[in-house]
Amino acid sequence: MSVNIRPARVDDVTGMQACNLQNLPENNLLHYYLHHLLTWPSLPYVAEDAKGRIVGYVIARIVADNAGAVHGHLRSISVLRPYRRTGLARKLALQCRKPSPLPYSPTSDIVRSEEAMRTTYRAAYVVLNVRKTNRGAICLYRDALGFAVHAIREKHYADGEDAYVMRLSLDL
Amino acid sequence: MASTPSKRALPSKESSLFKELLTFYETRQLKKGQKTADQILKKFPEHGETLCMKGLILTHMGKRDEGRELVKKGVRLDLTSHIVWHVFGLIQKGEKNYEEALKSYTQALRFDKENMNILRDAAHLQTQLRLYDGLVETRHLLLKLRPNLRQNWIGLAIAYHLNGNLTEVKRVLEQYERTLKNVPDYDVEQSELMLYHVRVLEDLGELSEALSLLDVNAKSRVIVDRVAIMETRARILSKQGPTEETEQSWRALIQHNPDCPDYYKGLLASKGIDLDNITDSNRAEALQILRDLSTQLPRADTPRRLALDVSIGDEFQELVRDYLLRGLKKGIPSLFVDVKTLYKDTPKWMTIEELVEGFRETQENGGSLDDPSIPSAHSSPPSTSHEAPTTYLWTLYFLAQHHSSRDNHFRALTLITTALTHTPTLPELLTFKGRILKRLGDPVEASVAVNEARLLDGQDRFLNTKAAKYKLRAGLIEDASDILGLFTKKDAPSPGADLEDMQSLLYLMEEGNAYRRKGRLHQALKKYHVVRKVFEEFEDDQYDFHGYSLRKSTLNIYLNLIAWEDNLWSHPAYVASAIAASQIYVKVHDDPSVSKDALSSGTSTEAEKKAKKKAKKAAQKIQEELKKAASTSTNEDKGLEVTPPKDEDPDGFKLLTDPEPLERAWKLLSPLPALVRNNIDVWIAVYDVAVRRGKYLQAVRALSNAKALDPEHAELHLRYLHFRKTYSALPSPLSGPVGAIVSNTLSSLLPSELSSDLYNSQYLQRHPADARAVFSAARGLHLLDHPKEEVEDMIFGVLNREAHLQLKVALEVLAFLQGIRSARAEEFRLACDQKFLLSSVFKNPAELALLQREGSPKEEQQEVIG
Repeated sequence: MSVNIRPARVDDVTGMQACNLQNLPENNLLHYYLHHLLTWPSLPYVAEDAKGRIVGYVIARIVADNAGAVHGHLRSISVLRPYRRTGLARKLALQCRKPSPLPYSPTSDIVRSEEAMRTTYRAAYVVLNVRKTNRGAICLYRDALGFAVHAIREKHYADGEDAYVMRLSLDL
Repeated sequence: MASTPSKRALPSKESSLFKELLTFYETRQLKKGQKTADQILKKFPEHGETLCMKGLILTHMGKRDEGRELVKKGVRLDLTSHIVWHVFGLIQKGEKNYEEALKSYTQALRFDKENMNILRDAAHLQTQLRLYDGLVETRHLLLKLRPNLRQNWIGLAIAYHLNGNLTEVKRVLEQYERTLKNVPDYDVEQSELMLYHVRVLEDLGELSEALSLLDVNAKSRVIVDRVAIMETRARILSKQGPTEETEQSWRALIQHNPDCPDYYKGLLASKGIDLDNITDSNRAEALQILRDLSTQLPRADTPRRLALDVSIGDEFQELVRDYLLRGLKKGIPSLFVDVKTLYKDTPKWMTIEELVEGFRETQENGGSLDDPSIPSAHSSPPSTSHEAPTTYLWTLYFLAQHHSSRDNHFRALTLITTALTHTPTLPELLTFKGRILKRLGDPVEASVAVNEARLLDGQDRFLNTKAAKYKLRAGLIEDASDILGLFTKKDAPSPGADLEDMQSLLYLMEEGNAYRRKGRLHQALKKYHVVRKVFEEFEDDQYDFHGYSLRKSTLNIYLNLIAWEDNLWSHPAYVASAIAASQIYVKVHDDPSVSKDALSSGTSTEAEKKAKKKAKKAAQKIQEELKKAASTSTNEDKGLEVTPPKDEDPDGFKLLTDPEPLERAWKLLSPLPALVRNNIDVWIAVYDVAVRRGKYLQAVRALSNAKALDPEHAELHLRYLHFRKTYSALPSPLSGPVGAIVSNTLSSLLPSELSSDLYNSQYLQRHPADARAVFSAARGLHLLDHPKEEVEDMIFGVLNREAHLQLKVALEVLAFLQGIRSARAEEFRLACDQKFLLSSVFKNPAELALLQREGSPKEEQQEVIG
């Protein structure tokens, strides 16, 4: 419920790695987390509980296409089970939407990883890959984060499963 | 190059071949390079530089041993060539032997002073080795040679920073910035550089300069990281003192991200309120600020949660009621963990208990929780019907957690059973049931419950990890491995091997501890040593960034990386593994028969043998593939990094039978005294090893440091006695200043006029109602050679009601009694089995094996992860 959402720091990396390993099937060495943090320091965010444990994170990067235009790529979002249903993934990742019709302050919910992609790197859109069968995640990305399926990447995963490439425009 | 030694000079044909060889290497055309080298060597078999280049190429091709030999030979044949030393340095760097590599680079630089590549590599090695004086020199030279490169300026600034000279950093940055002409908007690298400049000014205490540099560059869009701008601004303004502007800067951050408590802390501080130390005089004001923000930010949880920390009495009751109802109705599993931090305040947990028990009763009577008879801040629309059934479930779940945290495990178990009758399919209920059973001392039944939770959602790795962890806690190591294997890579030799490759500290520690509890100390040591290996990898990870971060100019975060690496070995997982391993080594040192017992207990079960066979086969396959790859000469570049050799001791037999267990223990503990000064377990572990290695000064200092943390600590008490006994039994006491320091320190810990017996009984008198202290005093008697009966009589005192014996301590006591071959160990075991109702850990081995078999059902073979 109430967790601390803040930009990731170097001393979060082991916590982020643990939050990934205990929660998601695709895992990475610590170097991967360091690499993202030291390349795009404003993009990764973490959620931390009262005891300082990392219970959620988002990792992203910036990619330049052949024409030199840049876009964001959400690489990994992890939220530990006791903290799901709390809107945490959305709070960590999202934060870049078009003017919101909701009655509360439109900026109150607007921050963090995608916002940083837009303001710091001027990314035009953000993409992510998701397993075709991972319905829960697809729903989250579509309904809560506003992504839409953009393409299919065949046999993207090591076990041969296809990936959906989902995409969201970040109006500049 | 007029002075080229004759040995080195080649005729023009070979000389141009050598140039080709260098190009082939640089473009990684390894096979061609090898052929060219052979061509030269045919005529000039003693040409050192060619031998080295060939060795380097062979190493890249995976033939390290052969390659390394050639390089060494080449170096010997041409000691004044920069090429041979550079190659040797590259090889050593690949082996992560940074010290030796730097020596080779230094040699190379003697013969080619201005070689940019060598200088840059040397700078990275100096950073890795924290040789900052040398680093400043190297960076100076690099900048002198190429002043037009930004990274050379940055490199010098960072070198000064690491060497603690911020004034010079400032000068270098200013000088560099003067050379800049048009900086395009949105240049992320320039943005990072300016943020670094601001931080340098801030650290120098030049706050207004820092602030104006930040503001100017934010306005001109040179600095583009908005959050960094806002956070830096708020931080600097706060250092300058509370003003209207300071307050606004924090408010801006809260608007931007309302879920970060630090921002609220900053806002309140700007009003002169310390959120961590609220007083009666500022409570009302703090609460009003938080209430206003809660209204402004209806979706944010943080101001509401912080208001619970600040408020007391009726106000607290009103706020916490809303907060709890919101969480229960939304069905938020982490609600209890969230409010648990309020429990250090007794009236608060009592209020919460009363409220939630009330919610439960209301719902059981079919009432609505929106009953206005209890005051509520935001009166929700009156509901006509009763609550959703899930709210009742989450209420029971919350209450179970509440009562378990108050050590009322039976009440918790009743509640969770009611909830499970209501809804058997909610995994959270089962995982918590497991937690309660674990706390009651029945790890086997606990693992059954958590495994049931896992089966309800086989695609959830979180539940999978939890189930495996509980299996390990219950000593069911093979079951745990099977469960973990549902999510690990299928082509890995074993689930554990994959988790090890992926640097899973949780897995390594849990399995190491499981082996240790089973007495399979060799396998436990093995896991603890793998933890060390993982941290060595973490330490190496920084190497790549010494150059990379300068190019990317992500300097603030890079400096944080360096600071983090400097503290790396204080990580809790490393500390725990080092202490656990050192305890095993000490045990083996004190009683070498321990290692024999452990090795014979390692007789594996059938299933384990099978798994081992499979893992061996898979590992063999990998080794064979490596060998095959190494023998066929392909062009494929394998890089210079060493591939890990085959593990010759997968079960830790060699570790456990090491002839110098204390030296091994000390190697693991040695980084800790400088980094983890506030952990008493570290000092005690350091003492235990130091005193046995005859390092009496180090031992007694460890005791002083421990005393500063907790003078009455039960384990420490025993060490005082142990040290006096050991030290006074020395055949010849230490002489000179060291001897004097040791004696003086000892008498400051344990006054020399007090006899050890008296000291021990006084300690017991001071803590008659503390089972740990009673146990410690009893061990004191044993140490002071009192008869076993006397020791036993005292030890049974832990069973007195007022001693509040905890299950964990009871297990240690039992192990101690068994260790001294006490005739009353069995009596103690039975007493504990009676005392700890529902526990299984005090069953005898045969009973336990039966329980474990029951707890390890076979019906769950078929499972597929989608």
